[in-house]
Amino acid sequence: MFSWLKKKKSATIAKDRLTIAIMSDRNNETYPFLDELKREIIQVVKKYIGVKAIEIKKETEGELESLSIDVQLESAS
Amino acid sequence: MGIIIAVISGKGGVGKTTVTANLGLGIAMNGKKVAVVDFDIGQRNLDMVLGLENRVVYDIVQVMDGEATLKQALIKSKANDSLSFLAASQTKDKSVLDSLRVKNLLMELKEEFDYVILDAPAGIESGYEHTIEFADAALIVVNPEVSSIRDSDRAIGILDSKSQKVKEGEEVAKFLVINRIVAEMVQSGEMLRSDDILEILSIELLGKIPEDKGVVDASNQGKPIILNEKSKAGQAYKRIAGRITGHNIKMEDVESNTTSFFTKMKGIFK
Repeated sequence: MFSWLKKKKSATIAKDRLTIAIMSDRNNETYPFLDELKREIIQVVKKYIGVKAIEIKKETEGELESLSIDVQLESAS
Repeated sequence: MGIIIAVISGKGGVGKTTVTANLGLGIAMNGKKVAVVDFDIGQRNLDMVLGLENRVVYDIVQVMDGEATLKQALIKSKANDSLSFLAASQTKDKSVLDSLRVKNLLMELKEEFDYVILDAPAGIESGYEHTIEFADAALIVVNPEVSSIRDSDRAIGILDSKSQKVKEGEEVAKFLVINRIVAEMVQSGEMLRSDDILEILSIELLGKIPEDKGVVDASNQGKPIILNEKSKAGQAYKRIAGRITGHNIKMEDVESNTTSFFTKMKGIFK
C-alpha cells in the first residue's frame, strides 16, 4: 500500500551498501598470512632476545603499501 | 596436461556443489576427460548430487594416505563415460590437507584428465586455501545477494595471496558465475543486476544461471539438471560448459522475463 513511498529500489540500496562495505574491507584488510608471519618473526627474534609482543600493521598511503612491524622486547629485569 | 579449476565461494550454500557437478558433466559432454573432486572434506555432498553415493569405496584422504590408488578411488559417472569422480572423506576433517599431498594428488590427476574440477570448501573455512593453492583457474560462485557478494570478495583476496601461480608471478584466471537469478526480481529492482555485481567485484563474467526449481528435483534423483534439456538452469550450465571448453557462446539474458511481450517492448525503447 505504501510502496509508492519507497524512493529507492532495494537493489540500488544493496549496490551502494556493497560498494562501501567492500571498499572498506579491501582497505582495512590485513593479509590472511599475518598470524603466520607474526609467529615466524617471533621465532627469529627470540633466538637473539626476549620478545614480549609483536604488532604488524598494514599501512596504505596512496599507491604505497607498507608493513609496520613493532616488536616489544621483554624487560631486562 | 590438463587444467585445474577450483569452484569457490565466500560463504556456503550458494550452489558450489551443484555448479561443480553440472559443469563437470557439461564439459564431459563436450568430449573432454573430466575429473570432479570433492575437497569439502567432512561434508561429502558431491556424490549425492552426481548420484554416485552408493559406489564410493575409497575417498580422497585414503588416496593421499596411500591406502588406495587414484585408479581404485575414481568412480565413473553413469551419465557420461568421460566423467570421473573422487569422493571427499566423511570421517576426517579438513586439517588432514597439506600442500605437498594436495599437490601430488592434483599433479597425478592433471596427467590423466583434460579438466580437473575441485569443489572447494567455503572461503571462510579451513581447507579452502589448500584447494585453491595449485589451481590454474577459479570459478567464483555468487548469489545476487549482499552477504554472498561481500564474502566472495574476501575469498578472491585469499586466492590472490595464496595461489601458487600468483606467487610465481603469474596470474590465476578468475571468472564469476552468478547463480540463482530471479528475473522478475531483477526487473522489479529487488535483486542486484549482473552488471552491478561485476562492477562491484571487477572480475570477468563466465555465466548467469537462473533460479530453477528443477535443481532440487534433480539433486533428489542424483541426476544433474544439465541432463534436462528443457530446464533453464540446465541450458545455462550447457552454455557455461561450452565457454570453458573454448566455444564462443553468447551471453544469454536471463535477467529479463523473456516470455513477456511487454518487457521486450520496453527493452526496445530503453
